[in-house]
Amino acid sequence: MANLEVNLGPLKLKNPVLAASGTFGFGEEYASFFELEKLGAVIVNSLTLKPKQGNPPPRIAETPAGMLNSIGLQNPGLEAFLEKDFPRLKSLNAAVIINIAGDTEDDYLTLARELSEINGILALELNLSCPNVKEGGIFFGNSVDVMSRLISKVRRACRLPLIVKLTPNVTDIVELAEAAESSGADILSLINTLKGMVIDVSKRSPLLGNITGGLSGPAVRPVAVRMVYEVYRSVKIPIIGMGGISNLDDALQFFLAGARAVAVGSANFIDPYTIPRLISDLQQFMESEGLHSIDEIVGAAQR
Amino acid sequence: MLAKARVLRNEEIVPGCYYLQLEEWQIARGSLPGQFLHVRIVDNIAPFLRRPFSIAGAFPDSGRVDIIYRIVGKGTELLSRLGKGEYLDCLGPLGTPFSPARDIAVSVLLAGGVGIAPLLFLARILSGEGKKILVYYGASTSGELLPLKEFLPKKAEVFLATEDGSAGYRGLVTDLFESTLVAGTRRAEIFACGPKPMLKILAQKNRYWGYPMQLSLEERMACGIGACQGCAVKVRSEDDKTGYLRVCREGPVFDFQEVAW
Ligand SMILES: Cc1cc2nc3c(=O)[nH]c(=O)nc-3n(C[C@H](O)[C@H](O)[C@H](O)COP(=O)(O)OP(=O)(O)OC[C@H]3O[C@@H](n4cnc5c(N)ncnc54)[C@H](O)[C@@H]3O)c2cc1C
Ligand SMILES: Cc1cc2nc3c(=O)[nH]c(=O)nc-3n(C[C@H](O)[C@H](O)[C@H](O)COP(=O)(O)O)c2cc1C
Ligand code: FES
Repeated sequence: MANLEVNLGPLKLKNPVLAASGTFGFGEEYASFFELEKLGAVIVNSLTLKPKQGNPPPRIAETPAGMLNSIGLQNPGLEAFLEKDFPRLKSLNAAVIINIAGDTEDDYLTLARELSEINGILALELNLSCPNVKEGGIFFGNSVDVMSRLISKVRRACRLPLIVKLTPNVTDIVELAEAAESSGADILSLINTLKGMVIDVSKRSPLLGNITGGLSGPAVRPVAVRMVYEVYRSVKIPIIGMGGISNLDDALQFFLAGARAVAVGSANFIDPYTIPRLISDLQQFMESEGLHSIDEIVGAAQR
Repeated sequence: MLAKARVLRNEEIVPGCYYLQLEEWQIARGSLPGQFLHVRIVDNIAPFLRRPFSIAGAFPDSGRVDIIYRIVGKGTELLSRLGKGEYLDCLGPLGTPFSPARDIAVSVLLAGGVGIAPLLFLARILSGEGKKILVYYGASTSGELLPLKEFLPKKAEVFLATEDGSAGYRGLVTDLFESTLVAGTRRAEIFACGPKPMLKILAQKNRYWGYPMQLSLEERMACGIGACQGCAVKVRSEDDKTGYLRVCREGPVFDFQEVAW
């Protein structure tokens, strides 16, 4: 049988298919469809230090081959998460990666420090798509300096493997990927959603309560594949690829571009069985192709 | 649960409004009034998301599940083309159902437009429990009114309102209901579903009327199962703090006092 295990630097996973942050809740809902144990890992909703209400509705807009969301990182905050959601997730035998977000460096550092003390967390994923309030709303994820400083501080504050999730809403993602690597990231996740908006023509106003939202789904896949392809050429750390994956073919594009693992987001909403099906399709593919490890095709499309 | 339901019937009953009968035993057995199905209309990526529809009837003995829908966009338009014998991918039953009080013998069902759908299911169940059913049903014009006789228990009393006066009371269904209140308030509880402005008016007026009242709300959905926080509705807790609940999970049915308009 083909071995689906992968090593992403310090992070070892039983298979390379993960649930993307924000699309899988804290796992509970999907546990009624299949055993979470099957997943490479569950990356939970972005967690902030204090509870976050999220944005006013509507928060969802369908778009051609995709969707916009403006959830606004609604979550119960660290304390309630550790008390309630985390134990439940662990009891479902899921491999857990925690995605963290903050308005200030201190938010990230406190989260990283506290989560470092908790047993049963595989890794932290830094969501850098939030504006840095102290720096006047500059996004952590699109300034090399702001991002590098944050990553090196978080790196020192915690012992867990550190995944940095990059936003595609930048001029040069390679520059940011390189900066993340040199500041201490162990793994890169790409991509987060692309900023966009929809206007309700009949009301002559933006459809989303928050005006803009993040685009995800098949519509973003070519952008995501291109970014993985470019980043793979210039960094040595492993990449988790995501953006519009719903089947084996989509996932293979990411592996061939250079991702060593993939995450599934919006496709979970369409078919809750997307991830288990993808895992078994991948297993079959590897067997029929005679692959011993997914590493054999990672980056194979590079020219 | 996720299931392929066979289409028994999918017909236009009044212009622009369709009656869809499905066969799916497990859903038929598990459904309660107020719950909904999240359906995947096509097998590809356009339209991308599933579409939520209230369950308008579920019959555990025949495996039948009904939906009544109005064509408003591309998803419902494509749904209307689904033929007898074809299959529809359904996720459900989902959401929290209506929770009628045991000891209130009169149920007022108040609907605007296709909001009548979940109340038809509720009417059948409550009537089976021996409760008196009063249906207040409004639309903009008579051509949009569904032939309720086909769907309601015989004993249900129906009061119609149309905005243009082409059938029943001329005006809003909420005004029609209010006009009947003077005749003497009975002990009753209200279940309502319809456009948001209608539900908002009802909730405001009911602060004076004081009936127990449950509302079925709509919001745009992605997952439909509580994972994405996409279908948020603003609510007020007992200490008057506001926050968001999920229409797909804690809802679609909410107590009128809970919603922060
Ligand atoms: C819990 C619930 C129960 C519902 N029950 C019924 C019912 O019994 N009968 C019926 O006719 N309709 C019902 N609706 C509304 C129905 O879901 C929408 O009319 C339908 O999704 C429109 O799809 P469309 O592609 O035709 O329209 P489009 O406007 O093209 O849809 C675009 C997007 O907006 C969403 N959307 C548009 N209108 C609504 C709406 N009113 N509520 C939620 N999402 C919307 C769609 O799902 C889709 O994601 C219900 C909605 C909810 C939330
Ligand atoms: C509803 C929704 C909520 C999301 N929330 C988060 C989040 O809280 N944190 C985060 O880092 N990414 C979040 N994302 C981004 C996804 O994790 C993923 O990067 C993106 O959607 C691309 O993958 P997809 O096309 O498979 O959905 C969210 C995406 C969606 C659709
Ligand atoms: S639609 Fe995803 S939480 Fe309700």
